[in-house]
Amino acid sequence: MTSRQFLLVVALVQGVLLAALVVLIILNRWFRLRRSAHLQPRRAAVDDAMRRWAAGATPLAGVLIGLARLPVSLAIDALVGWSARVPGERWRELAAELEHQWWARVVRANGNSARWWKRLECARFLSVGAMPSDIARLTRLINDPHAAVHIAAVSSLERMESTPLTLTALERLPSLAPTVQAYYAGMLRRSRPVVIQHLQKRLRRTDDPALPRLAEFAVRLAEPALRERMTALADHTNLEVRTQVARALGSFPHRESVAALTRLGADSAWEVRAQAVRSLGMIADATTLSLVRGLVRDPIWWVRLRAALALMRFGGAGRNALLEIEVGGNAEARDVAKMILGLPAQALAEFAA
Amino acid sequence: MSVFGGVIHGTDLAILIYFLGLNSFYALLLVLSIPEIWEQTRLAEDDDFQRLMQSDALPPITMLVPAYNESATIEASVTAMLTLEYRSYEVVVVNDGSKDDTIDRLRHAFDLYEVPRIYPETIPTKPLRAVYRSRTRSRLLVLDKENGGKADSLNAAINASRFPLVIAVDADTLIEPDALLRLTRPFLLGREIAAVGGTVRVANNCTVKDGRVTDARVPHSLLAGIQVVEYLRAFLFGRLGWNRLGGNLIISGAFGLFRKDYVSAIGGYRTTSIVEDLDLVIRLHQHLRRLKIRYEMPFIPDPVAWTEVPESAKVLSRQRERWHRGLIAATWQYKGMMFNPRYGRVGFLAMPFYAFGEMLAPLIELFGWIVTVGGLATGMVDTSFALLFVLVAWGYGMLLSIWAVVLEEVSFRRYRRFGDLLLLLLYASLENFGYRQRTVWWRLKAFVSVWKHQHVWGEMTRKGFATPPS
Repeated sequence: MTSRQFLLVVALVQGVLLAALVVLIILNRWFRLRRSAHLQPRRAAVDDAMRRWAAGATPLAGVLIGLARLPVSLAIDALVGWSARVPGERWRELAAELEHQWWARVVRANGNSARWWKRLECARFLSVGAMPSDIARLTRLINDPHAAVHIAAVSSLERMESTPLTLTALERLPSLAPTVQAYYAGMLRRSRPVVIQHLQKRLRRTDDPALPRLAEFAVRLAEPALRERMTALADHTNLEVRTQVARALGSFPHRESVAALTRLGADSAWEVRAQAVRSLGMIADATTLSLVRGLVRDPIWWVRLRAALALMRFGGAGRNALLEIEVGGNAEARDVAKMILGLPAQALAEFAA
Repeated sequence: MSVFGGVIHGTDLAILIYFLGLNSFYALLLVLSIPEIWEQTRLAEDDDFQRLMQSDALPPITMLVPAYNESATIEASVTAMLTLEYRSYEVVVVNDGSKDDTIDRLRHAFDLYEVPRIYPETIPTKPLRAVYRSRTRSRLLVLDKENGGKADSLNAAINASRFPLVIAVDADTLIEPDALLRLTRPFLLGREIAAVGGTVRVANNCTVKDGRVTDARVPHSLLAGIQVVEYLRAFLFGRLGWNRLGGNLIISGAFGLFRKDYVSAIGGYRTTSIVEDLDLVIRLHQHLRRLKIRYEMPFIPDPVAWTEVPESAKVLSRQRERWHRGLIAATWQYKGMMFNPRYGRVGFLAMPFYAFGEMLAPLIELFGWIVTVGGLATGMVDTSFALLFVLVAWGYGMLLSIWAVVLEEVSFRRYRRFGDLLLLLLYASLENFGYRQRTVWWRLKAFVSVWKHQHVWGEMTRKGFATPPS
């Protein structure tokens, strides 16, 4: 083939492709408009049926018929959207009825699909419509390799109390990225008794590589039953564990917490000192005022800031200490005191968060 | 055959090979963009935003907003930024020594009061004049500093920021209310994210109400209209394709989310760079690869920010000349990364592509024209063959542009009117007739500027957004 013939072939292929793309664009727009016109009334009908059923005005059958007439993805969207607006008991009634719907059975079967988007569809559906018989399926989905799938599946814990599911999520938690952990933590908080029992066991294993993550999760729970275990970890060799402990103890105004925080306030790592002084501010025990005051002169800016904010929580005594620091000899401490004393209450609350 | 004839034919062959190589790579990007946009669209559709909004999983974000002479729009744009749908974020506006009354406008609109600057200056910047907080908007922090340019302002804002993620936003960029929420999706999906880029779209001719685009339209001006297609092509197929190749080199300076610890570790934005966003991303790649840190820098198409593009050839030429100057400077500065195994795909794919496929493209195109015209004049190149070649080259350009419209159409369909769709197709077809040649000329001028060591930003004049009729 000569180069001229080659170019001719390329030009011809391009021409055909261009024409095909233009036709595709126009057909796609036309098809979508038609589809949207068809689906809009069905969506509105489902919303209307849901509204009336949620108010107790009509039986559930109308909702089920409406959902069955929608494409599966839209039916799931409708369910997810309405799940937050319908009271728990009524929603369970709907979930139980959905077990017998053909389309819901197909969605459930998709939990084993090789395609992630099918599993995601199933996980989203089960996040609002799971029944006790779905526990094995949900356990598999929580262990799914695709992040979107296991995140959707773990949302089922919002509505469902199941020890195996909670434990599956808890086992997965330490290996997840921080943002995902936070999401898991939010979901697991609802299954408190099981979670706390599990954490009490896991926090005893001081050589557990997952300990920093579990400690972080324990902080989020702020559960008094975990105070003792967290206090025991105050002298752990891992910096992150000590930081989490320093953060957690602020939620437990107890003399052992104060003693541990006093030790952590003198830690060699500034991250630990910053968290410890913040927690000391939360407890605001008068005996620690001088320690907190001393930390306003810390060489690290974050510790100074946290110490100055903590002093504001000690009431009049803390404020007076800051006023003294503001005219004191340490320039860095003076700066931070001046800034904190100048902040309005709203900004203080934001900073302290 | 004479020596001259041999040169002409050899050059023609070299240009043909270059053309084939480059376009095959574009075809690869095009193919890779298909599964990518499909996956991204699915994830975008399945996001349960209400659930996310209520959870405390979302990472807090600091928005960095440099402002220079933005008096006319600053109040509206900052107000819009302060009312985004996101649970935990702050806005740090930096008045970069504006000559107009930007700072007074801010002071007045948000009831600012001065606070001492006591945060550590981790990245050196031009001196700060004052730091303000707002009595009415606790999320807002305003820095007033001496003029040092956009990069310097961004660095000052990074110093003052409190949160682990930072997003650089131009003061005149309109961010969609749920854009931050969508932009954090890769962080929620648990990948090792160093930065995320979102889509920037053209706001000319769109209706804007309270700092939000309420009605997306395609501009009637040819220059702005063609830029809509260019932006679609750059974002929807170029960057999505690069996602799969793992070498995204550009995260728009107007809308990109970064991990602050990484940005601080490389000393923030480089103030001497003309295209600070490209420079930052290359240095991030360099830093993370050197330290062997696992990371990703994905582009996700559904978070959207809108910006005004130039409608006059003069302003557009300055912008394009500056962009290309920045590309030349960055390619030269980081040439050591090219074909260096230490930098993986960035060194072996992205850098060579940007150097040979983007930076040198206008020079090669010019050279090709000269040789072809020379060959035609001396009868050494066949006229019909040359015309066929030009036809194929233009046809290919058109194909890529129309493909970008296809991706937009099958995914997000921001332009709802059928007339707008037809306009897009028209602009995609017209791009190769005059507009592309002009951009080549502007990019060639960049080489001259680099040669002359010119380092000017080039003034960007804006027309302002259309507001809905009352």
